[in-house]
Amino acid sequence: MKGINPLAVAVIAGLVALALPFVSSDYAVSFSIQLLIFLVLAYSWNWIGGYAGYTHFGQVGFFGIGAYVGSLLNFHWGVPWYLAAIAAAFAGAATAVPLGGGRMMKKGQFFAIGMFGLASVLEAFALGFDSITGGGTGIYLKPVSDLRPIYYVVATVAMIMLLMTWRLDNSRLGLKLLAIREDENAAESLGIPTTRLKIGAFVASAVAPAAMGSIYAVYLGFIDPPTAFAPNMELTTIAMVLLGGMGTVLGPLVGALALSVVNEVLWANYPQIYLACVGVIVLLAVLFMPRGIVSLGMKNGWLRIGRPLFRRLAVNAGQAPS
Amino acid sequence: MSESILAVENVSKRFAGRVALESVSIDVAPGSITGMIGPNGSGKSTLFNIIAGTLRPDEGRVLVRGQNISSASAAEICGLGIARTFQISRLFAEMTVLENLVAVARGRDDRAAIALALELLDFLEIREIADRWGAELSYGQRKLVEIARALMLQPKIMLLDEPFAGINPRLQNRIVEHLRTLCTRGITVFFIDHEMRIVLRECDLVYVLAEGQLIARGDPQSVRNDAKVLQAYF
Repeated sequence: MKGINPLAVAVIAGLVALALPFVSSDYAVSFSIQLLIFLVLAYSWNWIGGYAGYTHFGQVGFFGIGAYVGSLLNFHWGVPWYLAAIAAAFAGAATAVPLGGGRMMKKGQFFAIGMFGLASVLEAFALGFDSITGGGTGIYLKPVSDLRPIYYVVATVAMIMLLMTWRLDNSRLGLKLLAIREDENAAESLGIPTTRLKIGAFVASAVAPAAMGSIYAVYLGFIDPPTAFAPNMELTTIAMVLLGGMGTVLGPLVGALALSVVNEVLWANYPQIYLACVGVIVLLAVLFMPRGIVSLGMKNGWLRIGRPLFRRLAVNAGQAPS
Repeated sequence: MSESILAVENVSKRFAGRVALESVSIDVAPGSITGMIGPNGSGKSTLFNIIAGTLRPDEGRVLVRGQNISSASAAEICGLGIARTFQISRLFAEMTVLENLVAVARGRDDRAAIALALELLDFLEIREIADRWGAELSYGQRKLVEIARALMLQPKIMLLDEPFAGINPRLQNRIVEHLRTLCTRGITVFFIDHEMRIVLRECDLVYVLAEGQLIARGDPQSVRNDAKVLQAYF
């Protein structure tokens, strides 16, 4: 069966992304930075929510932690934004380890409920510790004159996330995570170390969002609690993965592109009702394409079904002399 | 009798005060086919779940080659060489058959895991469905794939929960042949089923459970004529 090669799509997207700042307006670069940040968030969420099946609403908590860690390092100690983003990534992982250890022992719904309050608690901390965080006033950072370095860093991270997801999808680790999503008890009974894998996926999924939080603060030039821990950020990320296809390589990319463009067009033309329109679109998409746009593509033969690496190895093994 | 590879000693289990198992003891000899029968609700699956580590016994213990595994997790028990299938198929529906097998492989690289998976699909004569989704398979195919998936763990003991239920006699006979072959390779098979014809024909030793209690133990002939068994079933 002929279909679209995901790797070819990734290479073309990479080339377009590379040329974009030189051939487009500042507005397009700014829009692309936001899109790419969402893309990174969507890929991160896809690891734990899409592959391991542990959907949760706490990712924006790591985004917010990263935003504050990066901003504080930048504001108080003048740490360059790209180094501050790396420090923020470590902070995200350091927060996720104990949280994962405590919460991932629980089964799906208890985990989702437990994570629900994380962002609110962290937002309350950010508001309360105003001597450090600036409270409701927030922190104002030195404005960035050229957005292109930010664009390239975020684009590189997005590309890395896509390639890592492709590798995960074609690995036994990916299959084990999918097994947890499909039937955690059966997976455990078949010797899959479910708790260890869930914690690993959870921690891995917290790293990039924290780095993106730090970069987002630099991009905006300031950060305050409602911006760092915005529920809208979380819901948009999840909607992108749902729309594109959970637990797939191209799902977050397709979902982020589709929803960002729709969002922007509706916002420009119908600013009063654009959020309601986006909500209706996502609702209809989930109702009529519960596995997302990518699964529709697989069903219609536009995209290859399954994980090509295993199929290729199986073909080779079948042809090898016994 | 040779020393048992699997022993259940005085295991009891209650759910909300209701007795599911009452001081049940069994022995399974290495390389044997041991069967367990009993009416619905007699506690067969509960006993399997206790052996496999999905449930904990309230009393008693489970020994594998003399090692107490009563408090081990399901994954740890699996690591000790016990693999299981399920009463109602629990294949990973959104994976292909090959991926279902490769996902549970332990201690080997991708190529070796795929080679073993294909070898097992050949052994069970279902290689042609390697690329089919778990959700697409017929009931009988699911039973066979579950056996193949359990064999991916290269177990010493196979626990099969109703492997013959709801499948046609021809496929039942095929599964029996495969189980016999496994025994010649040193794998111990312990299964529960309602299919009396197969249990009484193929097993070296048969246990009978009724209302959580062991009511008979012995070779198929003696179990067939046991008054308590006849009373429980007829």
